[in-house]
Amino acid sequence: MMLSRVAERLYWMARYLERTENTARLTQAYTHLIMDIPAGSEPGWDILVYILDGGHQFGEGRSFSEQNVLKFLIGDEDNPSSIPFCIKAARENVRTTRDVLPEELWEHVNELYLYSQEQASKSVGRRNRHGFLEEVISRCQLINGLLMTTLCRDHAYRFVKLGYLLERADMTTRIIDVGAGALLSNERLNEAVDPLIWASLLRSLSAMDSYRRTVGPLVEASAVVNFVFCDGSLPRSLRFCLDGIRRELVPLKNNAEAVKVLDRTRRSLSRFNSDKAGREELHRFIDRFQTGLNTLSGVISSRWFMPLNS
Amino acid sequence: MDKHWNRYHRKQSGDFFDELITRTGRPRVVASTAVKMLRSLTPDEMTVRRGAAELAIREMGISFTVYSEGKNIDRAWPFDIIPRIISAKEWKKVSSGLAQRTRALNRFIDDIYNKQKILADGVVPAEIVLDSGNFKAQCAGVSPRYGAWAHICGTDLVRDKDGRFYVLEDNLRVPSGVSYMLENREITKRVLPELFEHHSILPVDDYPSRLYSTLASLSPRDQKRPSIAVLTPGIYNSAYFEHAYLAQGMGAQLVEGSDLFVGEDDCLYMRTVDGPERVDVVYRRIDDDFLDPDAFREDSTLDVAGIMRAWKLGNVAIANAPGSGVADDKVVYAFVPDMIRYYLGEEPSLASVKTYLCMNAKDRDYVLSNLNKLVVKPANESGGYGLMIGPKSTAAKRAEFARLIEANPRNYIAQPTLSLSTAPTYVDKGVEPRHLDLRPFILQGNKTWVTPGGLTRVALVKGSLVVNSSQGGGSKDTWIVQSNQS
Repeated sequence: MMLSRVAERLYWMARYLERTENTARLTQAYTHLIMDIPAGSEPGWDILVYILDGGHQFGEGRSFSEQNVLKFLIGDEDNPSSIPFCIKAARENVRTTRDVLPEELWEHVNELYLYSQEQASKSVGRRNRHGFLEEVISRCQLINGLLMTTLCRDHAYRFVKLGYLLERADMTTRIIDVGAGALLSNERLNEAVDPLIWASLLRSLSAMDSYRRTVGPLVEASAVVNFVFCDGSLPRSLRFCLDGIRRELVPLKNNAEAVKVLDRTRRSLSRFNSDKAGREELHRFIDRFQTGLNTLSGVISSRWFMPLNS
Repeated sequence: MDKHWNRYHRKQSGDFFDELITRTGRPRVVASTAVKMLRSLTPDEMTVRRGAAELAIREMGISFTVYSEGKNIDRAWPFDIIPRIISAKEWKKVSSGLAQRTRALNRFIDDIYNKQKILADGVVPAEIVLDSGNFKAQCAGVSPRYGAWAHICGTDLVRDKDGRFYVLEDNLRVPSGVSYMLENREITKRVLPELFEHHSILPVDDYPSRLYSTLASLSPRDQKRPSIAVLTPGIYNSAYFEHAYLAQGMGAQLVEGSDLFVGEDDCLYMRTVDGPERVDVVYRRIDDDFLDPDAFREDSTLDVAGIMRAWKLGNVAIANAPGSGVADDKVVYAFVPDMIRYYLGEEPSLASVKTYLCMNAKDRDYVLSNLNKLVVKPANESGGYGLMIGPKSTAAKRAEFARLIEANPRNYIAQPTLSLSTAPTYVDKGVEPRHLDLRPFILQGNKTWVTPGGLTRVALVKGSLVVNSSQGGGSKDTWIVQSNQS
C-alpha cells in the first residue's frame, strides 16, 4: 500500500538526488577538461549552464566567466539548477516521507544538506571546488547505495527507481546534446582537442573505463554516442535506463498508457543509428527523446500521483 | 565525588515535595540505588553522559517544532538525564484512579451527546455544557463502539507538598507527548545503562502496540488487520515528529487531509498508487474544527469533506471522536468527581484540585479578592497560554485579569497555587531541584489501559512552574520501579 502523495515525494527525492550527483559530476569533469586544453581552444563555461537548462535563470548580459557560472551552479541556493537547491529539495521530500524510508536515510540526507549549507558558497573557486564536488558525489552514492541495499522491493522502491532512472536518462541526453553541439559547430578552430572533450563527457557519465574496455582506447564521436545511447550494460546509457524503467512500470496497476509511451521511445532508440546521423539529426533525435521522457513523467504523475476520487 | 549533589536538599527554596530526596537529604527508598549510583559519578562523567544524551537526541532526530520570529524551527528535545522514580505500589493506585476517571469521562461524553441524563438529574448544570464552544451539536445522536469517545487521554498530574498526586487537567482532544515518553526511555538506556542492572523498571515501549490494539478494536469492519491512518496537519505542526513516530510504530499510514476522500458510498478512502483504499480507523491529530469543512470550518485546508457523515453512519471510526473536548473544559473539570459518583457509583480515588468557578457569584467574589494567591486559567486554552499565577503576578496583571473575569466569568476558573513537586535536575551549576508534572496516557477502546508512568515534564528555569516545551520546559525519563521495600 502506498499513498499517492508519498509515491510522488519519493519519486522527486530520487530525481533531485540524481540531479545533484549528475550536476556535480558534470562540473567536476568539465573543470578537469578546461585544465587540459590549451588556452584559446577551450570551449566556454556557458555550456554547463545550457546543459542544465539554466540559460533563463542565469540572466541575460551576465558574462559566462568561470566565476559566474560556478557561483550559479554551486553557490546559488535559489537557482533550481544549482547543487544546493537540489539537495534542499531532496531533503524536503525525505523529511515528509521518513516513515517509509530506512531510518539512517534521513540522517545521511540531512548531513548532506548541512554539509552543502556550510561548504557550498566557499567552494566556488578552483581550490576548494574539487573537494566539495567529490564529497557531494560520494555522499550521493552512499545514499543511493543505502536505498538500493535496504529498501524492500515494493512500491516505495519502484517510485524511487523510476525517479532515478528518468532523471539519469534525461541528463545523459543533455550532456551529449549540448556537448556535441558545441563540439560539432563549424566555427571551432582546433579539432585536435575533440577527443579530449568526448573523453571528458564520458568521464562525467563515469563511463570512460567501461568505454575503453568495451569499445577500445580510441575516443571518437560516433562510437561514444552509440555506446552512451545503446549499450544496455552501461548503467548510465539510455538503453539501460529505459529497460529499467520498464521493469518498474510492469508491476504497477493501470500502467498501460505509461508502458505505451515508454515503448514508443524505446523503439525510436533502437532505430537510431549514430554512424549515419549528422549533428542535426542527433539533435532532433534527442529532442524527440526528451519529449518522450517528459510525456512519460506527465503520465506517471497523472496516473499515480493525482488519482481521481474513484 | 558527589560535589554536584552537595547540600541538594538545602537548595529547596520553599516547602516542596521532592521526588527522590527527603527533607533530611536522604534518598527515598525507591530511589536509593539510583541516587547512590548517580552520586558516584564525577562531574566530568556527568558531563560526558549528558553529551551522550544530546548526541542520541540529534541522531535519533527527536525534535519538536516551535514557531518563532516568523519561522518554524525544528528544535532538539530538551532532556534531563536524571530519571524521576515512582514506586510500583504507589503507581498502582494512581493508575486505577486514572482508569476510573477516564471511564467516567467517556460515560459523560456519551451521555451528553445522547440522553443527557446527568443534565436532567441536575448533577452538572446544563448551561455550562450546552453553551460551551466545546459542545459540538453535530455529534448528537452518535454512539461510537464501547461508548468510547476519548480513546487517547493525556491527564496532567502534579504532586503537592503533601506528596499526593492531584489531577490538574484532562486532555481529551489531541493530547501529545507520548513519543517523547518512549524516546526518553531509549535515551536513558543508552546513556545510563548501568542503572538498569539493579532495577526492575516497568517497560513502556509496548505503547504503540497497545495503541494499535485500541484503535483496531474500534474498526467498523470485522477484519484481522483493519486499515488505520494517522491524520496529521503536516510537517509544520509542532508534534509532527510524534505523528510520524506513532504511524511507524503501528505500521499505519501517516496521512494528510489531501490523501483522504469520502466516496459515494459514504466510506472513507485513501488515495494510493493502486487506487482508493478503504480506511477503517482514523487516529486524527487535528482539532475538531479543522476536520470537515461540511460540518465545521469551511476555510480549513487540512480537512476531509464528508468525514463527519462517514463517521456518523458508522463507516469509519475517529479517535478521539469529534466532540470529545466537551469534557476537558476547565469548568467541567470541577464536576468530574461528581461524574464518577454518578456514573460508576464509586468514590474518586484520585484527588482533583479545588476549583473556583467564576460563573458562580460566591466563587467569583472569593477569586477577585484573592487573586494574589490563586492561579487563574481560561476555561479553554492549552499549552500554558493565557493563565495567571497569582503569587508571581504584578498588580497590573491582576487588574487585567479582574477585568477579564468580570467581562466573561464563564470563561475563567481559579485554583489554589499548588506547590509542584521537584526532582534533582542536572543544570549548569550542578544538581538542583526543579519543578515537574506528569502526563500519563490512558487508552480506552474495548479495554482501558494506562501507561506505566508517563511523560515527566520539568521546568528547567529555576523556580519556574511552567513545564510546557513551547515555553522552556524539558523532560525526564519516568520510572515505575518494583522493589521489595516500597
